Amino acid sequence: MTMKDNHPIRILFGSFFSSGLRAKRTRVFMLLAMVPVLLMLAARVMQGVGTVSAGDVAGFFSHFMLSLYFQLLIPVLALFFGSSIVNDELDNKTLVYLTTVPVRRRSVLLGKYLAALLLAALLIIAGFLLCFLAASLTRLGDAAVWEELGLFLGTSLLALSCYSALFTALGAFMKKSILSGLFFVFGWESVVQYFPGVTQKFTIVHWVKSLLPIPPGQNSFLSFQLQPSPALESVLVLLAASLLFLYLAIFIFERKEYILSDNA
Amino acid sequence: MTAVLRAEKLSKWYGNILGISDINLEIGSGITGLLGPNGAGKSTFLKIAAGQLKPKLGALTVFGEAVYGNPRLFRRIGFCPEHDSAYAEMSGRGFILLLARLHGFAGAAAAAKAEKALATVGLLDSQERAIKGYSFGMRQRLRLASSILHEPELLMLDEPLRGVDPVWRIRIMQLIKDYGKLGRTVIVSSHILPEIEAMTNEIVLIHQGKIFAKGDIHRIRGLIDSHPHQVSIRTAQPRQLAARLIGSEFISGIEFAADNRGLTVHTNQRDPFFTALMGLLAESGMEADEITSPDDNLQAVFDYLIGK
Repeated sequence: MTMKDNHPIRILFGSFFSSGLRAKRTRVFMLLAMVPVLLMLAARVMQGVGTVSAGDVAGFFSHFMLSLYFQLLIPVLALFFGSSIVNDELDNKTLVYLTTVPVRRRSVLLGKYLAALLLAALLIIAGFLLCFLAASLTRLGDAAVWEELGLFLGTSLLALSCYSALFTALGAFMKKSILSGLFFVFGWESVVQYFPGVTQKFTIVHWVKSLLPIPPGQNSFLSFQLQPSPALESVLVLLAASLLFLYLAIFIFERKEYILSDNA
Repeated sequence: MTAVLRAEKLSKWYGNILGISDINLEIGSGITGLLGPNGAGKSTFLKIAAGQLKPKLGALTVFGEAVYGNPRLFRRIGFCPEHDSAYAEMSGRGFILLLARLHGFAGAAAAAKAEKALATVGLLDSQERAIKGYSFGMRQRLRLASSILHEPELLMLDEPLRGVDPVWRIRIMQLIKDYGKLGRTVIVSSHILPEIEAMTNEIVLIHQGKIFAKGDIHRIRGLIDSHPHQVSIRTAQPRQLAARLIGSEFISGIEFAADNRGLTVHTNQRDPFFTALMGLLAESGMEADEITSPDDNLQAVFDYLIGK
């Protein structure tokens, strides 16, 4: 069954996706997403002039680039896009337009969430694809390379949807959610993943990393104190968490009274 | 009168700050002016009526139904908010078309509704421009378009004339009057009495969160006109002017300015006094640099009416 053209979720998705493409925030994050590409190209150039070996370049990708994407870029993009779904409406006092039309609040939230998710995904995937191709230029004929790419992209999408749903809920709950989100990403997630026992399972990054190949080496950014969780379990947990956070976001957004200023 | 909007013991406060208190009100078809000074509770009342805020106590119904959390009702309600808010990156047409589609109009019908609303507020020529390039007055007209595009049975306008240029002020007032003549219900708020006066005779006075008076504007005008007014006149000949004014039956007192460049006249009959003053100035050839009425604002009138 397909969603009708005039379904509110589809209308809102289309409208906010196209206006999101023109937004200043998207342009800033597009530049940010290109930083790893430039780093990767620089590594390739250094390999070309013989400063570093091909093995070093491969190591650079598996150690540094994956960490950069999965521990920094994906959570940060999800934070800014996810929390803006409700926060932008409050800051710009535009929520009134979406809550005085005959559309349920859940449709508003879902339409905007999907638009934000697609925008963030396009930025991540475009940058990641270029990085990956630069890293694997000499191995493009190898089927395993493409399998690996599929794994990375699938994991990226799962991570993005989970983080975005979490930060959408946070944005629906509190007006200034960026600080709390940053604390979550760089505080809780960074510290707890190295705790012994099952505590690290209370982070999103644990389940994300469980899907990625563990690179060789002692000081890897992706090293684990515990063995990673099984892949299927990780996928299911990330999907379930995405749905749970999204449900939480809808629950809050439908019940919370948002008081825009100038109440007189 | 069949009430379109009914408020019963309606109260709302924000923490320790009172928004409105114990409001009982019924509003039927036609235009009703909601008049009160800034901070009186007009916007709070309209936001509750538009489903933006939950009542703390009491109830408010529109067409017999509670508004908060009842999106179905918005097919019949239009709301123009007071604050200057817009999706800056969207074009004027994109914004109105989005709302038309969310109101359930599809394809050509949505485009026709958007075009009609934009034409009504004079924004067809600039419809493709991004809203961030609009002037304040244009954004105000765009907000008005957003509230009328689906031709609601109940239209609520919160300070719709704020920031609008004089030409469009007159056009919007006419638009509101025409809308009321169609038998629909319009509630328009303002803190400027002449604005409301130009649109309707039916008025609700709101002050400090309470309904202070409701009814025909002429009765309320009578109350306001009996309020002692002060009129300040800046002139190079204050004593000569005072000598000519002192015998007037409309004057209860005169004070001279400390710099001897003006005088303040106390009157209980403002309009006749102004007529007499203009005649006197014309006849005597005396020049007045400035004539102001320091308490000719709604707050002063309300303070007088409630006996402050």
